[in-house]
Amino acid sequence: MTVRRLILAIIVLVVAGGLAFWLLTIPRGLDPKSVADLAPGDAARGERIFWAGGCISCHGRPGAKGDARLQLAGELELKTPFGIFVPPNISPDKADGIGAWTLGDFANALKRGVSPEGRHYYPAFPYPSYSRMKLGDVADLFAFIKTLPPVSGRTPPDQLSFPYSVRRGIGLWKLLYLSDKPVVRLPADASEQAKEGQYLVEGPGHCGECHTPRSFLGGTEDSRWLSGAVAVEGKGHVPNITSGKGGIGDWSEKDIAYYLESGFTPDFDSVGGAMVDVQENIAHLTAADREAIAAYLRAVPPHPNGYPASKK
Amino acid sequence: MKKIVLAVSAVMLSAVTVAMAAGDPIATRKTLMDANGAAAGVSAAMLKGDLDYNPAIAKSAIMTLRAVAHSYGSFFPEGSDKGDTKASPKIWSDNAGFEAELAKFRADADAAAKAAGKDGPADLDAFKAAVTPVFGHCKTCHQDYRLK
Repeated sequence: MTVRRLILAIIVLVVAGGLAFWLLTIPRGLDPKSVADLAPGDAARGERIFWAGGCISCHGRPGAKGDARLQLAGELELKTPFGIFVPPNISPDKADGIGAWTLGDFANALKRGVSPEGRHYYPAFPYPSYSRMKLGDVADLFAFIKTLPPVSGRTPPDQLSFPYSVRRGIGLWKLLYLSDKPVVRLPADASEQAKEGQYLVEGPGHCGECHTPRSFLGGTEDSRWLSGAVAVEGKGHVPNITSGKGGIGDWSEKDIAYYLESGFTPDFDSVGGAMVDVQENIAHLTAADREAIAAYLRAVPPHPNGYPASKK
Repeated sequence: MKKIVLAVSAVMLSAVTVAMAAGDPIATRKTLMDANGAAAGVSAAMLKGDLDYNPAIAKSAIMTLRAVAHSYGSFFPEGSDKGDTKASPKIWSDNAGFEAELAKFRADADAAAKAAGKDGPADLDAFKAAVTPVFGHCKTCHQDYRLK
């Protein structure tokens, strides 16, 4: 009798647990009404968001130069501890890219990490940052991407190891880490410039995705925001860009803006590694945007390096 | 201003740092890159107008870059990927690619030196035309062959 009751209890628990998992992990898009009310975007304005967002860094063809950079064919492989992610073709090709998407599809992908088929995207696609983007900017970006050359060809699927291969599990991850709220609470007297910089850095720029250490679950540790991290891909570390120990406290706002424009540090070392693409994207923004990013970086809380001292 | 004076004196010292090439390859190649950085610093100061253009300083910067371009590749022996270095393992795994980057850096530095002539580039525009291709190599090489 007791054994039967125990078995029954286990069955009930497993079913309830499965049901809870299923309910908690349903991919949830934006409120359809907020998307339906959205006016079509402006491609000219969207170009700014495109460069700020750095879409090319992952979706462009590796090593492409000049106009060939604008072919968003995918093809790069991001080798991480979770497995290999292959950013897909997001060119406006109707068959292989996102040419057949609606603006609502695009907004759900960027702001909620949900595909047009209603599946979760892996957060290697930095939608936790993009979720902070204004819907109007999302619409503008979509309009700009539509002006780029369509490229045919699909990328191979991601290769992930268990348990990361369970896509539905991302639903739980999103409950923990997906928020459209600002990360840093700027001082009440922060300048408009710093606030604009906050939007560019925390939203489209998604700087925190590489420059912030991650928990064992792979979420950014916002209490150590922008303090640098062990590189998720490859060797080495991503530098601390706060004013804390090991960071860039001795850079002036002018130094930061000049670095983003030219690729040269105050010591005239040059930008390197994955940051080269980022810097070249940011160089397309206006001087005012780069100055805003610099003002925000000066205003964020200082933290010591977010990576172990031995990692050079 | 102090930074500029430091940069100028570092350029002057560059010949000395190249001569120091002995013993520790990691330390040596860092001194070479420091000299490069100083040459870039004084060049940028003139290009940005923070420092008045001076053909002798311009020539000194170009010659520093050229000296580094010709010597730098000699300080990456097998095993020197270990230690206090940000050198990417790709330098050794894709050595042909690394050598090709260095060859381009050398070629553009040689061309700049030729353009500088005896007295240095005549004016700021001539200097800019001569050094801009050389500085382009900082990024392209650091993108693939240096960590971060």
